[in-house]
Amino acid sequence: MRPELDTEPGLPGRDSMTIPLALMRTMVVVAFAGLGVGFWFFQVAQHEKFAELAENNHQRTIALSAPRGAVFDRDGRRLIENRYSLNISLVREEVEDIDATIETLSDVAGVPLAALEAVIERHRRDPPYRPTVLIRDASLGQVAAVEAHAIELPGLFVQQLPTRHYPTNEVGAHLFGYVGEVSDAQLASDAFAGVRSGTVVGKSGIEQIYNQLLMGTDGARQVVVDSLGREIDTLGEELPLEGQQLQLTLDYDLQEAAEAAFEVAGFDGAAVVLDPRTGEVLVFASVPAYDPNAFAMGIDGETWGALNSDARLPLNNRALQNRYPPGSIFKIAMAVAALEEGIISSDFKVPCGGGGTFYGSYRQCHSSHGTVDLRTALEKSCNTYFYTLGEMMEIDHIHQWATALGVGELTGIDLPFEVGGVMPSTEWKREARGEPWYPGETISVAIGQGQVTVTPLSLAVMMATVANGGTRVTPHLLKAVNEGNGFVPVRRPVPRSEVELSPETLSAVTDGLWYVVNRAGTGRSSRIEGRDVIGKTGTAQVISLEGRKAAGEDDERFRDHGWFVFAAPAHAPEIAGVIFGEHNDGGSRSAPIAKHIMETYFAKQDGLPRPVLPLPSTPQVVPPVVPPVVVAATDQD
Amino acid sequence: MLERRLYRHIDWLLLGAVVVLCAIGVTMIYSTTHDPTAGAAGPQVRTQLGALALGFIAFAVLLLIDYRWLSDSWVTIFVGLLAMLAYVLLFGVVDGGAQRWIGLGLFNLQPSEFARIVVSLGLATVLYHRRWALQTPVGWLMVAGIVGAPALLIYQQPDLGAAVTLLPVAFAILLFAGLRLRYVAILVAVAILVAPVAWTYGLQDYQRQRISSFLDPELDPQGAGWQQRQARITVGSGGPLGKGFLQGTQSQYKFLPVAHNDFIFSVLAEEQGFLGVVFALGLYLFVILRGLDAARLAKDRLGRYLVVGIMSGFAFQVIYNIAMSAGLAPVKGLTLPLMSAGGTSVIATLAAFGLVLNVRMRRFTN
Repeated sequence: MRPELDTEPGLPGRDSMTIPLALMRTMVVVAFAGLGVGFWFFQVAQHEKFAELAENNHQRTIALSAPRGAVFDRDGRRLIENRYSLNISLVREEVEDIDATIETLSDVAGVPLAALEAVIERHRRDPPYRPTVLIRDASLGQVAAVEAHAIELPGLFVQQLPTRHYPTNEVGAHLFGYVGEVSDAQLASDAFAGVRSGTVVGKSGIEQIYNQLLMGTDGARQVVVDSLGREIDTLGEELPLEGQQLQLTLDYDLQEAAEAAFEVAGFDGAAVVLDPRTGEVLVFASVPAYDPNAFAMGIDGETWGALNSDARLPLNNRALQNRYPPGSIFKIAMAVAALEEGIISSDFKVPCGGGGTFYGSYRQCHSSHGTVDLRTALEKSCNTYFYTLGEMMEIDHIHQWATALGVGELTGIDLPFEVGGVMPSTEWKREARGEPWYPGETISVAIGQGQVTVTPLSLAVMMATVANGGTRVTPHLLKAVNEGNGFVPVRRPVPRSEVELSPETLSAVTDGLWYVVNRAGTGRSSRIEGRDVIGKTGTAQVISLEGRKAAGEDDERFRDHGWFVFAAPAHAPEIAGVIFGEHNDGGSRSAPIAKHIMETYFAKQDGLPRPVLPLPSTPQVVPPVVPPVVVAATDQD
Repeated sequence: MLERRLYRHIDWLLLGAVVVLCAIGVTMIYSTTHDPTAGAAGPQVRTQLGALALGFIAFAVLLLIDYRWLSDSWVTIFVGLLAMLAYVLLFGVVDGGAQRWIGLGLFNLQPSEFARIVVSLGLATVLYHRRWALQTPVGWLMVAGIVGAPALLIYQQPDLGAAVTLLPVAFAILLFAGLRLRYVAILVAVAILVAPVAWTYGLQDYQRQRISSFLDPELDPQGAGWQQRQARITVGSGGPLGKGFLQGTQSQYKFLPVAHNDFIFSVLAEEQGFLGVVFALGLYLFVILRGLDAARLAKDRLGRYLVVGIMSGFAFQVIYNIAMSAGLAPVKGLTLPLMSAGGTSVIATLAAFGLVLNVRMRRFTN
């Protein structure tokens, strides 16, 4: 028998049910209202935020690097190209235990664990979704090993990247430059507007100056990934656009000849050869060079350190980053200035007894030349003659004409980091030193010593200007650009300045320089039968004769630099240039390099086989172990 | 046998709402488990349909048997539950660090799912027969034993979630059985005092971690906070109208863990949006309020207690799971009754609704 009476007094019954039931109903309704508000908050009020989070969860944008444009020489030879390298990369956000992953990778790929740890450490602050390259330029064996262990190595993947390749290795290195990841400083500059961090850009040379043309446009692939990071679907793909191809004015045969000749000669230096009619650069070399391929995959610290601590300064571009006194090369500018100013005529004669007194101090000539005219003075490089001209002339007139030839000026070449030289004047002295010009200083300038300094490149321009009759052409490397429809020539840069040198001036200077090479002058080792080579040697003193004696004759660092400027053929020059020999003890030792370049040029023109270099007559110069002391600093003084 | 007049009193509206919720559940399970490349449904859909079939049989059985008859046999049933729970602890199937299941070949039975019904039945019977139970220590001991014994066994599995759901069941029945509000106040005070102790000694590491990651999901975005964070993203990205059936990126690309199970409501929210959420919430609210109606209409206190126990357990689990599915409550292995994939849950829930309808149907009989 069950108790049925629910309404028994004093006991919980039907009446006492109302309150708990109302309580329960209220609680349930309130809870559901709360849930409704909660879902409204997430789904309506904050929908945008969560929609973006969900999208970030499952969508990835994979950058597709654009290959940089290839670079060719004037004959269409491929100088810079691309190859595809395989990188093994890690996406950190997809890896739970990074230490274990790189340990496994170290095992299967045979890479030292410490190296991988260093890479992870270096990229610790990168966003976790960005791939970190653990092994650059992996071998096929390493790639196969990683793919075989894919399950134990989540978050690792193999990236195929276009990579710069320089088939000529060190030849032309300073001209081509190198590439690397864009630096923060570059990102901040206008020239790199729109470039993403991490992009490979030109860091030097052609690669830098024409970076915008060469770079191309990166593509991107939008993919859907699942929670394990596997690609499930491709939403869209924008293919990368290869950079534009460039054709240079460079003649690789001549470039190779120049660098080979330096190797045979056994000293460092620079060579710049132009077409004096146009300013096209045919040769641009700085020795020693580096291998730009070492930078293509991101240079490792060890190689970078070695390049920077190398006493021979292989990263230094001697052709346009360093200033040296022009020495006797400056006598060409003096001759032009004196003739054009009408101070002398070309048959003006000066007796040379081995020196003379100018402004109260005795100045030496290196020999006793007897009575010489301008032509002979150039041939013999007679100091007494040019001291006399210096005494007869105002420094500002010399400045005017030397500048017209390009001495001390920026040439405007399409390469980065060019420095200007110094061609002194009264104004320059006042501004730079706050002192008046003393006439005695003009005597030193007259033989290319004293305050006057130049880059090898600017002397090449000077020689080209003399050779073409007064047009200071702008040296340039870019000949044509291929945007995809074949090479289109680019407009030639306008000359920096133009004067018309008188026939008398040209005849006298040309004769003098012809004697230098074709008579008993200092440049005879550049003589080529039937080619009418003209030239002039010069010596840039590193230290005074007395100082050199004090330091010991044999100290490599104090040996003079030797210049040689040249052009050919004498009366209608097609080729003009400069050879700078670092600590090679004089311009006559630079002349054979010029000869080899010109011989190669003419042999090529006549369709003959390229000349073979003679074996070195002297053993190679032992590289100095301490940095060379140069008169002009490589930087701003 | 089901007499014609009883048949007329079946709550078809409640039954209809339950069927619609089950159908939504199956659809969402299909969405999260189908294989897009093969175009085939996942095996969970078939299992769920099978469980639903068994569930409706259980529903029918518990509808047809007079609940008073079940009440008379409550001791047998209670002992049977304890035996099953003990068996689970000794010989159960271990999965994910917990021992909760009895292997039955075709599927695994989770006895703890039945605990709510059995505890409701036990408490209802005892409090019905001993009106003064709550005034005597013996009565309290019996209440404590009926709730405590299965709760302890379930807690040992460990399955804190399932053990905790017994508390609202007991609390609701005691409230209807005349529990003084004074005692409620004492209980709350004790709970507050015990909480720090329970935190230190009563919870497993993973439970503590879940609670702390609930309070600050950014604390451990890859670990315990992950599910909760992903749940919020899933729900929030659904927006007002949803991404569409099979279009939920969070669930389809497996960013949402155990989507077909504990987080089925998140999937609904992602694919059907706030609109779908409101619809489903409305259905659940209707089911709960309509179920509580049966308590009001019940012929005797036995039926009332039984319905109140079952419905409060159901309501608690629904509310907790839905809150959790939006990252509004710590992640706990509680399924969403009627919708989540889970054989035993479906069978037990439908069986429980069989009892609720049973009580309502028999309100005029003697």
